[in-house]
Amino acid sequence: MWNGTVAFGEVVFPVKLYSIVQERRVRFREVHLADGGKIAHRRFGSESGEEIPGDRIRKAYEISEGNQVLLDDEEIAAARGPNTKVIGIEHFVPADQIDPLYYDKPYVLGAQDGGEHAYRVLHAALDKTGKVGIGRFMLRTREQLVALGAHEQALRLYTMRFADQIVSSGDLEMPALSRKPTARELAMAERLVETLEQTWEPARYEDRHRQAVMALIEQKAKGEELQVPEVREPEETPDLIAALEASLAGRPRRRKAAAGTGKGPLRDATKPKSKPKASSR
Amino acid sequence: MPPGIWSGTLSFGLVAVPVRMVSATRDLDVRFHQVDAETGERVQIRRFCEAEDKEVAWEDIGRGYDLDGQLVTLTDDELEAAAPERTHTIEIEEFVNLDEIDPAQFDHPYYLVPSSESEGTTRAYQLLRDAMASTNQAAIGRVVLRSNEYLVAVREHDELLALTTMLFADELRDSETIDAVPTGSSGEPKRGEVTEAAKLIDAMTRDFDAASYEDHYRERLLELVDSKRRSKKKRAKLPEVEVAEPEAAPDLMAALRQSLERARADQ
Repeated sequence: MWNGTVAFGEVVFPVKLYSIVQERRVRFREVHLADGGKIAHRRFGSESGEEIPGDRIRKAYEISEGNQVLLDDEEIAAARGPNTKVIGIEHFVPADQIDPLYYDKPYVLGAQDGGEHAYRVLHAALDKTGKVGIGRFMLRTREQLVALGAHEQALRLYTMRFADQIVSSGDLEMPALSRKPTARELAMAERLVETLEQTWEPARYEDRHRQAVMALIEQKAKGEELQVPEVREPEETPDLIAALEASLAGRPRRRKAAAGTGKGPLRDATKPKSKPKASSR
Repeated sequence: MPPGIWSGTLSFGLVAVPVRMVSATRDLDVRFHQVDAETGERVQIRRFCEAEDKEVAWEDIGRGYDLDGQLVTLTDDELEAAAPERTHTIEIEEFVNLDEIDPAQFDHPYYLVPSSESEGTTRAYQLLRDAMASTNQAAIGRVVLRSNEYLVAVREHDELLALTTMLFADELRDSETIDAVPTGSSGEPKRGEVTEAAKLIDAMTRDFDAASYEDHYRERLLELVDSKRRSKKKRAKLPEVEVAEPEAAPDLMAALRQSLERARADQ
């Protein structure tokens, strides 16, 4: 998707960048329910109510209410900065100092012809030192801050969020936390965590919802009426110790099998047990 | 204070914690809106049915899916039926070692905050947070947001419960399928080269300080807006930045050594 070079110190080698995210969510488009007609988005003047032809549309930035600056695409493009094809590594940091909150989108680098050797040397050295390189480059229309590290056999690159984009606990209105849990409660909770501990196997989790949505679509295609479920209200735990004890004793709702096969809950998805009401459509 | 995106119950065994979900990120991108260049008035998007060329009200719009050529339409209410049980509950299915999760699976980060001040809620919240922090575990569960079910991981961060939506394993491409990733024993780097590269990395290492990085793109856009506002001219231009494209070094070892000398001299 992108060809360029990685530069750190005097070492420069040619690379290719690959997106590794391929979303599989069921995608819908907007339709008019009455006749299934496609929905078109048309642009109108908010005051005049008149339709505006496409060539008259500009981007504007609102400085204050009623005070805006119009910008054209060339001006915005110029502000993007130099469109170099270089991922310039400015320095390295220990990988474990970066909280995953800073990572935005993941990519993988491949080597272009002639770059394989330097690629593998950098990969091995990053792997050995546990460090990641921090740099910047222009990806599509925007300069990105990126982290480059070794992941399995590949150089993994993440675009990064800036510190001021991350909300911290001090920014949130938190209810005053009451007295701390007791040592006994904490010990019990830790035991409960341990009883539910699993080895992380990402492939065990299926997107049951994707399957359920597809099942709904097929049902509807056959002309079946869909049931609209009602939602239960959340309840809080009246007695923390009793709930912990009961959880430890019963270890209820262990759903290892369900997570793996995606069966049980999926089958129920279109037949809710709570009072169903008929869909309006 | 970011608005709550979702509220419901986080349940862990028989312990239930009423929580509110808020985004852990704030959008600081410079946003533009569309205007009519002639009148300056703001553009408003209206939705039209192409079949009858008539404007359609929001509530008369549904979701269409092309199933092998047949258009199937669903209302938002009907779509809710895909996940009725989990709409307002995050049920923790299990705990896993936080370090085992590949961060590439993490999608959007949120925080969970207690949704009531009652002692039962705030204590259960702290208990789960502290138990995960002391065991370095993350809780795995599922949540339905905007009628999509997400796999989520919940962990302790910054004295809060942090939740992140996750991609499913099949939504993440395995780097082994990318041929351009060089592997194999034939081209393996020599130990001396790796040692030299590691030395260079160490010499160029500092502590990670997130606040030390500024968003140049955002700054330049705001600069552009500002210069345009002051000059009142038709065109504003930022100074061009010239950047020389580096060339690949023919001798890797020489390049590593030279870089190392330079990095050490800079310190």
